[in-house]
Amino acid sequence: MDLALIPNGVQRCSLKAFVPWLLLWLLIVAWGLLSAFLVLFKGLNQTNMNHYFAFGLWIVFDLSVIALGAGAFFTGFLTYIIGKEELTAIINAAVVIGFICYSAAIAMLGIDIGQPLRGWFIFWHANVHSMLTEVSFCITVYLGVLTIEYLPLILSNRKLNEVREFNIFGSNLHHAVALFAAAGTFLSFFHQGSLGGMFGVLFARPFAFREGFSIWPWTFFLFILSSIAAGPSFTLLCVWIVQKVTGKELVKRSVFTMLAKISGWLLATYVILKIVDTISWVYGVVPRAGLSFMDFYEGTYGVWLIIAEIGIFGIIPAIILITPRLRERNGLLITGALMNITGIVLNRFVFTIQTLAVPVMPFDKFMSYFPTWQEWGIAIGSIGYGILVFSLSYRYLPLFPQEAELNPVTVLGKAVTDSGVVKRG
Amino acid sequence: MEFSRRNFIKFAVGGLGGTLLSPLPWKLMDDIAIWTQNWSWVPVPAKGKFSTISSVCTLCSGACGIQVRKVGNRAVMIEGSNEYPVNQGGICPLGMAGLQILYNEGIRWKAPVKRVGPRGSKRWKEISWAEAIGELATRIKGLRDTGSPEKLAAIDGNQSRSTMALLVKRLLDAVGSPNYMVMPREEDTFAMATFLMQGGKGPTAFDLENSDFIVSFGCGLFDGWGAPGRMLSAWGEWARSRNKTSIIQIDPRASNTASKADQWLAPFPGTEAALALGIAHVIIKERLYNREFIQNHTLGFTDWFDAQGIKHKGFSRIVLEKYSPQNVAGITGIGRSIITEVARKFASAKAPIALAGRGKGSLPGSLYESMAVHALNALTGRVNRKGGVLIPDDLPLASWSDVEYDPVAMAGLTKERVDRAGTPRYPFTGSLIQKFTEAINSGHDSPIDTLLLCSANPAHTIPDSQNFIDAMAKIPFIVSFSPFMDETSMMADLILPDHTHLEKMVDIVWPTGIQYPLYALSQPVVPPLYRTKHSGDVIISLAKGIGGAVAGSFQWAHFEEALKARVRGLYDSGKGRITHNESEPVWKGLATGGSVSSPYSSFKTMWEDIKEHGCWYIPFHSFGNWSDVFHTQSKKFEFFSTKIEMALKAYSKEKSLDDAISQLGIGSRGDEVYMPHYEEIRSSANEKEYPLLLHPVELINLASGWIGNPPFLNKTLFDHQLRKDDLFVELNPRTASRYGLKEGSKAIVSSPKGELRVRVHLFDGAMPDVIFIPVGLGHTAYDKYLKGKGVNPHEIIDPVEDPLSGQPVWWNTRVKVARI
Amino acid sequence: MKKEDSTQGTRYGMVIDLDTCTGCGVCSVACASENNVSVLYDESDKTRNITWMQIYMVTNGKGFPKTEVGYIPRPCMQCDNPPCVPVCPPTATRRDPNTGIVSQIYTRCIGCRYCMAACPYHARSFNWFDPSFPEGMDRYLSPEVSPRMRGVVEKCSFCHHRLMRAKAKAYADGRRDLKEDEYIPACVEACPTKAITFGDLNNPKHTVYALIKSPDAFRLLERLDTEPKVYYRSTKDWVRRMADNYLAGEFKGRG
Repeated sequence: MDLALIPNGVQRCSLKAFVPWLLLWLLIVAWGLLSAFLVLFKGLNQTNMNHYFAFGLWIVFDLSVIALGAGAFFTGFLTYIIGKEELTAIINAAVVIGFICYSAAIAMLGIDIGQPLRGWFIFWHANVHSMLTEVSFCITVYLGVLTIEYLPLILSNRKLNEVREFNIFGSNLHHAVALFAAAGTFLSFFHQGSLGGMFGVLFARPFAFREGFSIWPWTFFLFILSSIAAGPSFTLLCVWIVQKVTGKELVKRSVFTMLAKISGWLLATYVILKIVDTISWVYGVVPRAGLSFMDFYEGTYGVWLIIAEIGIFGIIPAIILITPRLRERNGLLITGALMNITGIVLNRFVFTIQTLAVPVMPFDKFMSYFPTWQEWGIAIGSIGYGILVFSLSYRYLPLFPQEAELNPVTVLGKAVTDSGVVKRG
Repeated sequence: MEFSRRNFIKFAVGGLGGTLLSPLPWKLMDDIAIWTQNWSWVPVPAKGKFSTISSVCTLCSGACGIQVRKVGNRAVMIEGSNEYPVNQGGICPLGMAGLQILYNEGIRWKAPVKRVGPRGSKRWKEISWAEAIGELATRIKGLRDTGSPEKLAAIDGNQSRSTMALLVKRLLDAVGSPNYMVMPREEDTFAMATFLMQGGKGPTAFDLENSDFIVSFGCGLFDGWGAPGRMLSAWGEWARSRNKTSIIQIDPRASNTASKADQWLAPFPGTEAALALGIAHVIIKERLYNREFIQNHTLGFTDWFDAQGIKHKGFSRIVLEKYSPQNVAGITGIGRSIITEVARKFASAKAPIALAGRGKGSLPGSLYESMAVHALNALTGRVNRKGGVLIPDDLPLASWSDVEYDPVAMAGLTKERVDRAGTPRYPFTGSLIQKFTEAINSGHDSPIDTLLLCSANPAHTIPDSQNFIDAMAKIPFIVSFSPFMDETSMMADLILPDHTHLEKMVDIVWPTGIQYPLYALSQPVVPPLYRTKHSGDVIISLAKGIGGAVAGSFQWAHFEEALKARVRGLYDSGKGRITHNESEPVWKGLATGGSVSSPYSSFKTMWEDIKEHGCWYIPFHSFGNWSDVFHTQSKKFEFFSTKIEMALKAYSKEKSLDDAISQLGIGSRGDEVYMPHYEEIRSSANEKEYPLLLHPVELINLASGWIGNPPFLNKTLFDHQLRKDDLFVELNPRTASRYGLKEGSKAIVSSPKGELRVRVHLFDGAMPDVIFIPVGLGHTAYDKYLKGKGVNPHEIIDPVEDPLSGQPVWWNTRVKVARI
Repeated sequence: MKKEDSTQGTRYGMVIDLDTCTGCGVCSVACASENNVSVLYDESDKTRNITWMQIYMVTNGKGFPKTEVGYIPRPCMQCDNPPCVPVCPPTATRRDPNTGIVSQIYTRCIGCRYCMAACPYHARSFNWFDPSFPEGMDRYLSPEVSPRMRGVVEKCSFCHHRLMRAKAKAYADGRRDLKEDEYIPACVEACPTKAITFGDLNNPKHTVYALIKSPDAFRLLERLDTEPKVYYRSTKDWVRRMADNYLAGEFKGRG
C-alpha cells in the first residue's frame, strides 16, 4: 500500500507487520501524552519531585539524551569538517537520532518547568549569567539546525522529491550542509558544556561545585568530552539495534570500528580527566566545605555510584573500545558501547539527583527520590516517540546510503533496478 | 485555481510562513503568558483603606494585647501590642493565627441550628434566633415547672472570674440548679492549695519578672504556660540580661523550657512533691529558711499543741524524718547532691520562687504537690514578697444586684451537685467534671436533662474523653454555644453559635498568673461574619424568655450593659491606669508603691478608654505585708491546714477518721494528712502488663484546648511530630529498642481504656520508660485540615483521682506499646 | 560571577539570637500570615509545603538527661553572594544593590527550580499546587502581597512590602532615610522573645552593626562564600557547631 513511499532499491517489511510495530510504540507514546496532559493540567504535583529534588527523572533524561544525541553533531563534524568520508554511511541516521534526542529533550523541558506558557521568558528576559539560559538558547537553535539537516532527508522521500520545489530546496540545503555542521558543532560544544556548567557553578552545593577555567567550571569541559565520547557509541548502538531488528546489514563493519575507536579514545581521555577532577574535588572543594568524601554517600546513594560510574562503566568500556582486538568482536563492541553510554547516563544521574540528595546544612537530612508513573510515562514515552520517528524515517527515507549496496533486492533471483517496482502477486 | 495536492501544500507552507511573520503568534504568546499571571483561581486580595484596631486576644485566659491590621472591613494581620502591659508585644502562635479561626468557614456554625436527624447524623436545620432561644427557654421552664431545675447543668470553659462565666453561673442560680461545672485548670489546683495554706480565694499572682531564681516543678514556662505572651516576653528579658534570673526546670522530658533553663532535673513523673520536700529538708536542716516569717507568721512548722492540747508533729520534723535527700533520691531518681545543691541555691537566691504545675496548665494539677511546692515559697519567706507569690487585693469590680431566687430555685439549689464537688466528700473542689460524667454514666437515667456548653469542648479535651462522650449520649438535651463545629457541638441538639473572639466584646478578669490586678477587655475587630450571636446576649434573652424571677435577675438589655455594670466598680474605686508605656513595664515599678488615681471625670470617658486600650490595672503592690494577708483560722500561713482538719472532721462524722482519710484518696496518716506531703499516686493498671507510662505533652504551637489547631500551626509542627495523618510519640532510644521500635516505626499504644495508633520518634530527651504524646490532635470534628490528623491521648488516659481534690490525674496512665 | 560590593549602601540583615529563641513558631506564623502563604491540606509534608520562615529543631546529641534541644529559624539568608541569582534564566530573582535584598518576581518566574537546586539553605519553595486557602480564608489575604500561582518559586522577601510602606511614609514626611525601627519584617516584629534584631548591617548606628561583630555571631554555611545577611548568635558551642560543616579538629569552640 505504502510502497510508493519506500525508497528505491531497498526492501521493507509489509505494512501488516509495520502497523502493529507502530501501534506498540504509539501506545507507549500515549502513556507519555496522558502523563504530559496530567502534568500540564494539574501541575507538577503529579511528580515526586519536591523542594529537595527540584530536578528529577526528566532532567536526568534530558541531560542523558542530549549527551547521547551528541552523535549527530560530532559525526557531522567528523564527516564534513575533518573529512572522515566513511562516516557518511551513518550521518543520516546520526542526524535523525540527534533530532529525536533534542526534540524530546525540549518537549520534556517544556513540561518540566512550572510555567511552560512563560517558557519564552528565558529568551525575552534572558539572564546571560545563567548556564541554563545558554543551554536553552543553544539547544533551541541547534534543534533548528538539526531540523534543517533533517529536512533534505525528508524531502528526499521518493514521493516528496517528485515536487519540483522540494527537490530544488532539498538539494540546495544539501550543499550548505557543511555550514550547518559547523554551526551545529559550535552550538553543541557550548550547550553540552553549559549543561555541565549548570552543576559546576553551584558553588553552594559542594557535591557538584567545581573550579575551572575563566567562567567555565571543569564540568563544562568534562560534559563536552563525555558527550562526544558517548554520542558515537550511542549512534553505533542504535544502528546496530536497527540492523538486528531489520535483520539486515545497513552499514559496513568498518564504520562501526571507526565509531568505536573514536568513542573509545575520547572516553579514555574523559575517564582520565574525570579521575583527575574527582581527586582534585576530594582534596579541594570537599575539605574546603568542611566535608569529607564519605559525607556525600549514604543509603541508596552509596559509594557504589562512583565506583560504577568511573570504574565499571568508565574504565572497562574505554579499554574495550580502544583495544582493536577487543572491539573487533561484535559482542564486546556492543557491550563496550553500552557500558560507555551507561557510564555517561550515570554521570548525568549523579550530578542531577545526588547533588540534591546530599544535605549541605549539618542539621538537614539525606533525601531520596523515586519518580511517579507520570514521570516514567513522559520519559519512556519519549523513547517510544524516538522509535516511532526512527522507524518511519527508516522505512520511508534513504537513511543508510550503503543499504542498497549491502542488501541487493532480488525478485525471483533478479535484482530490481532503480526504477523498478515490485508488485506482489 | 485548481485544487491539487501541490497547490494545497503550497498554500499550507505559505500560510504557515505568513502567519509566523505576522504579529499574531507573538501577540498570542504574550497574551497566554499574561493569562498565566492572572489566573482567575488565584485569589486577588481586595484593596481598601488600611487601619489598625487594638483589642485583646481571649483565646486563652492569658489576655494578650493585640493590634489587628485591617483593609476595609477585613482583618488581615494580628500582631502583639507593645502598648499592652501583659505581653509587652509578644503573643503566642495560636493568637497570631487567630484570623484562621475567625475566617475558617469550614469550622464555624453560621446560624443557630437544630438537630433533625439522630444524634451524630450531622443533619441540621437552620432556625431563627427567636425560635432557638424560645425552644431552650421552654425546655428550662419545663424543668422548673416540674420542680426539677437542678436537671439543668452547664459546663463552662470561660475564665472563672470573667463576666461571661458569672453570667452563666447566674443563669443556673436563678433557674435553681447547683450543677454549674467549669473546665478544670491547673490554676484552680494552685488556688486550692493557697486557699488551704493561706486562706482567701484571690487570684494567683506570680511576680516572676522580679524573681532571680525560678524553680518550676513542671510548668512549661515557655511552652505555653500562664499568659504565653507574658512568659515569652519575660524570657526574652531574662535571656538578654544573662544570668540575672536562673531557672531550674523539673520535667520528665527535654522540653523547650528545660532546654532554655539553667538546669534541668528529670524526676520520675508524679514524684515532684517528694523532690520539693527533699529541697525543703535541706533548707530546714541547714537552717536556710526565713526565720522571721517562719516564727511569726506560720502555723505548724515546729511541733505544736492545739486548743485541745493535742500535740501535733511540725512540718519541719516530718520533712526531716521522711524526706532526706537520700530518701528523695530513691523516690525521684534525682541524685542526693543535686537536691542539696538546688536547695542551697534556692535558699540563697535573693528572690526565689517555686512554681507547681504541668505543661500549659490547662489541665488540673495535684493538690498535695502544689502544697509541697508552695511550702518552699513559705520556707524562704517568698509569700507576698517582691519576686515571690503575691497575695494581692482583688479587682474592685462592682457586684451585680443579688439573684432573685423564687421557691423553685431555692428548692433546686438545696439539691446536691451531681459531681458532689463542695460536699464533704470533695470539700475544696469547685467542680469535678469527671465525677459529673461518672454520675451520669453510672445511673440508669441521667440526673441531668439539659446540658449547656459554653466555650468548651470536653468531648475532646478532658482526660478519658470517651467517658464524657458516653455521658453525653445519655443526656436528653444538649445545647452548645460553641462557634465551632467541634466534637462536643456535633453531638448537641441545639446550637446557639457564639461569635469568635475577634467579633465580640468579652473580658478576662486578672489574666493567669499576672502579679498585679488587671482587667482585660476585648472589642470586636470585625462585625460578625455570620448569623451568630454573643452568648452573653443569648443568656440574657434566654433568662427573659424563661420569665419570672429568672428574668428578674437579668434586667440588662444586653451583655455589654451587664459588663459595664461590673466595670463601673473600677471607676468608682477612683484608682487604676488604662494606658501603658512600653518602656516602663509594670513589674519594674510594682514596688515603688503609692497609689494611682484615675484621671477620669466620668464613667463614660473611662469606659471609652478601656475599650480602646483594652485594659485597666493597678501598677502597685504593697510587698512584705505578712500580718493581715492570711485569711486562715490562725491568721497565719498554715503548714498544718486547719481547713483540711475541719473538712475531715465533717467527713468523718459517721465513720472513723481512718476510713474518711482513705475515702478521700489520701494514702498517708497522722499529721501529714493536713500538711504538704508526697502521695504516691498509683494507677490501678497492672505494671507487668502495662510497663510504661503515658505522659501527654502540651506544645506551644499545638492548640490543646477547646480551640482547634489552625492550619498555620500545622505548618509549624515538625514532621517527626505529625506526618500525613500519623502522630508521633517520643520514646527514649533505649526504651524503643527494647520493643524493636525504630525511628518512624508504627506502633500501638494501649492502656486499659483503649489504644492509639501512632508512630515513634526517637528522642534522647525523653525519659526512659515513658511515652510522650502531644495533646491537641486526633479530632473527629472540624474541617479536613484538622479532622483525622493524629490521635487524641485523652481517649486512652485512665485517670485516677488526685487525693483530696478528686481531680483526674492525667500524667501517669500505664500503657504498653507494640510494634505493628 | 562577581560578588556584589557589600560595603557600600544599605544592606538589610538580621541577627537571630538562638540562645533566646524558644522555637515557639510565632515568627513562622506571622510570616505566613503577613505574606499570604498558602496552606496545604497536608502541611506535614515538609518537602512540599510552603514556609518562608522554616524552623529547624536541633539537639546537642547527648543522652537523657543531658539532652538539650534548640531551634534554628531559617528565613531566606538574603546572601550578598546569592547562589540562586546568577542561575535564574529569566532574571526572575535579583539582589537589589540598594538594599541587599534578594527579590523574587513571581510573574516572571518560569518554575525551572534551578534556583532551588542552587540554594543550600532550602530557603526557596516551589508551588507544586495551586495556592489553596481553606474555605473562607481568602478573606484575610493582604493586598500588599500578591498570592503566588502554581508553578513558580517563592521565598522570604524580608517583607519587602514593609520597606515600601515605610519608604512611602518617610517620603510623605519629607525624609529620605528610614529610622532603624521603621522597617522591620513581620517575623522580627512578632518574635515574642525579641530574639531577632533587624537593621542595616552597614550602618554603625544600627544595633545589628555591633551585633554581627560580636564573637558570638555566626552564619549558616559560611564556608561556602554565600555571604548571608542573616546572622545567628549563640554562646553554646554545640549550637555554633551546627551552623557549618567541619573536618575533625577544625571547629574551635569558645570553651
